Amino acid sequence: MTKKTTFNRIEIVWNYILKIVKKNYRPVLVILGFFLIWELIVRIFNISELVLPSPSCALDHLFNAQPDANYNWGVHIGVTIKEFVLGFLFTAVFGIFIAIIVVWSKTMEHVLMPAFVFINSLPIIALAPIILLWLGYGLKTNILIAFLCGFFPVVINTIAGLESVEDDLLDLVNYLGASKFQLFTKIRIPNALPYIFSGLKICTTMSVVGAIVGEFIASDKGLGYIIINSQYTMDTPPIFSALMVISVAGGGMYMIVSFIEHLIMPWMPLSEKK
Amino acid sequence: MKKVGLVLVLVLVSCTMLFANAEAETQTQELEKVDFLLNWKITGDHAPYYVALEKGWFKDAGLDVNIIVGQGSGYSVQAIDSAKADIAISDAPVPITNRQKGADVKIIGIIFDKHPNCCWFWKDSGIKTPQDLAGKTIAVPATDGHKIMWPAFAKQIGVDPDSVTFVNIDPAAKVSALASKRADVVFELYSGKPFFEKAIPADELGNFIWSDYGFNAYAHSYITSDKTIEERPEMLKKFLDVVYRAWQYTLENPVEAIDILAEYHPINKDDYVANLETVMAFFQTDRYKNIGIGYIDPQRIQDTYDLVDQYQNELSFPVEDCYDNSFLPDPMYKYNF
Repeated sequence: MTKKTTFNRIEIVWNYILKIVKKNYRPVLVILGFFLIWELIVRIFNISELVLPSPSCALDHLFNAQPDANYNWGVHIGVTIKEFVLGFLFTAVFGIFIAIIVVWSKTMEHVLMPAFVFINSLPIIALAPIILLWLGYGLKTNILIAFLCGFFPVVINTIAGLESVEDDLLDLVNYLGASKFQLFTKIRIPNALPYIFSGLKICTTMSVVGAIVGEFIASDKGLGYIIINSQYTMDTPPIFSALMVISVAGGGMYMIVSFIEHLIMPWMPLSEKK
Repeated sequence: MKKVGLVLVLVLVSCTMLFANAEAETQTQELEKVDFLLNWKITGDHAPYYVALEKGWFKDAGLDVNIIVGQGSGYSVQAIDSAKADIAISDAPVPITNRQKGADVKIIGIIFDKHPNCCWFWKDSGIKTPQDLAGKTIAVPATDGHKIMWPAFAKQIGVDPDSVTFVNIDPAAKVSALASKRADVVFELYSGKPFFEKAIPADELGNFIWSDYGFNAYAHSYITSDKTIEERPEMLKKFLDVVYRAWQYTLENPVEAIDILAEYHPINKDDYVANLETVMAFFQTDRYKNIGIGYIDPQRIQDTYDLVDQYQNELSFPVEDCYDNSFLPDPMYKYNF
C-alpha cells in the first residue's frame, strides 16, 4: 500500500467521523437535556432513590466503589458484552448463510421458511426456561437466546436483498453464460449488501435484548443478572446503572456495524436532512 | 467482494478467539465435578457455599463444585431428576410430592430446622388471621415451594385452596409486587423481611409464619437422585461434610460470610447481613444445638410425609423411601447459639 493510499484511507475515516459528529450532535444534546431534566425532577421533588434514582446516583453506583456493595461491574459488563457480541456474530453468519441457502434452492425455501416463521412466533420469554432445562446455565444458553431474538430480521432482509436484482440484469448475465455461483457472488450478494446491513443493524439491538433476557433467567453473571438481583432486594440505583451500560453497548454495536457498512460500501451516502 | 471477504475472515477469527476463551477449563483432573443447584436467586442463606468455595474446603475434599443459581424448588426437583444437577436445594415436601409423580429424588440433609414459609401483606388490607386469605390475590412464582405446598397449608388452616387467585410473578418481583399492591398477599420466606421493609414501612407490613399455625413440615433441604446415591455415595458424604462445616462457620461469622458472598455476587452487604441474621433464627433449636446442623428428625420427616399424604397427594411409598440420612457428617457440626 502506498503512502498516498494510506493517507486517502485515513482521510475517509476522518471524514466519516466528522459526518457522524455533524449528523448526531443534535441527538446528543437532546439526550443530555433529557438526563438534566431527570436529575432536576428527582432533586426538586425529593424522589426516593428506591423509586427513581437520579442519573448522577446511577453513575455514582457505576463508577465509584460503594461502601456496602461490590457490584464487580467489570466482570458483569464483560460477560454481557461477550454474550451479545458472540450472539450477534453467530446470528449474522448463520442468518446470512441460511438466507443464501433459501434463495439458492426453492426446495430449501419451502422446507425452512415455514419453520423459521413458526420459531419466530414463539415468545422468547416462554422458550428461555425450556432452553435452560435442556442446556443448563452458561454462555451457550444465552448465545442461543440472543440468536433466537435476532436471526429472523437478518434472514428476511438478506433474502429480500438477494431477490431484489432487476430481471434485465439477470437476463443479461445468464445470456453471458454466468454460472449460478457466479450469479450469486458477482450479482446477488453485492446487490443484497444494503439489505444485509439493515438486517444486521436491527440484529444489534435484538441481540442485546436476547442476552439480557437470557441473563434474567439462565445466568449468575451479567448486567441482566445485576438487574434481577437488585430488583429482588429493592436496590434500585444499580438497575439504572446497568440500563445505561446496556444502552451504550447496544448503541456502540450499532455504530460499529454502520462503520463497517460505510467501509464496505463507501458509495452509499449517509442520509442527510435537507 | 474482497472487502466482504476480509471482513468475514476477521469475524471468523474473532469468533474463534472469543469461543476459545469463553469456557476455560481451570480444574485439575483429581477433583470430582459436582453441579450444585441453589433453590433461588442469591440470598443470605446461600453464603455458606461461597464460604466453603473461598476457603478451599470443597477443593480440600476433592470436589470441584459448580454453584448454580436456582429457579425454585420445583425446578430443583426437575433438574435433579433430569441429571442437570447432582445436588440441589428444595423445600422438603416438593421432592416427596414429585416422587409420587415418578421423580427419583431423595432428601439427604436438612437446612432450616424451623419452617420459614411466610405470607406478607399490607396491614390495611384487612387481613387479620390466616383464614382471611380466602378470596385474596396471591402473587407467587409458578415453581415456588410456597405455591406447591399451599394446598397442604390451606387445608390445615381451614381455607379452601382454590379460594385464592394466584398471580404469576418473577421471583425477583416479590417485593415490588406487594409494594405496588399488585396482589393482596405475597408468599416469601420470613428471611425476606429486610427487603420488604425497604419498600414498606415496618408498622404497615403484616406477616404470618406458617410454622406458627401448625405447619410443621421440614423446609429447605438438600436433595439428590437415587442414581447419584447409588453411584457416588462418597461424593455426597464429602459434600455434606463441607457444607455443614460451612454452615457452622457462617452462623458464627455472619458478617464475614456476607463479605465473602459479596465477592461472588453483586449484593448490598448491609441488606444481606440483615437477611442472614433473620435466617439464623431457623437454626436456633435444641436439635441443632445438641445433635447437629442438618439432622433429619424421624418424627419431623414423618410429619412432612403425612402433610403431603393427607393434604396434597396420597403417597404409595413408605416414608423411608423419601430420605436417606446416611450421608450426614459423623460427628455432626453443632450450632452453639
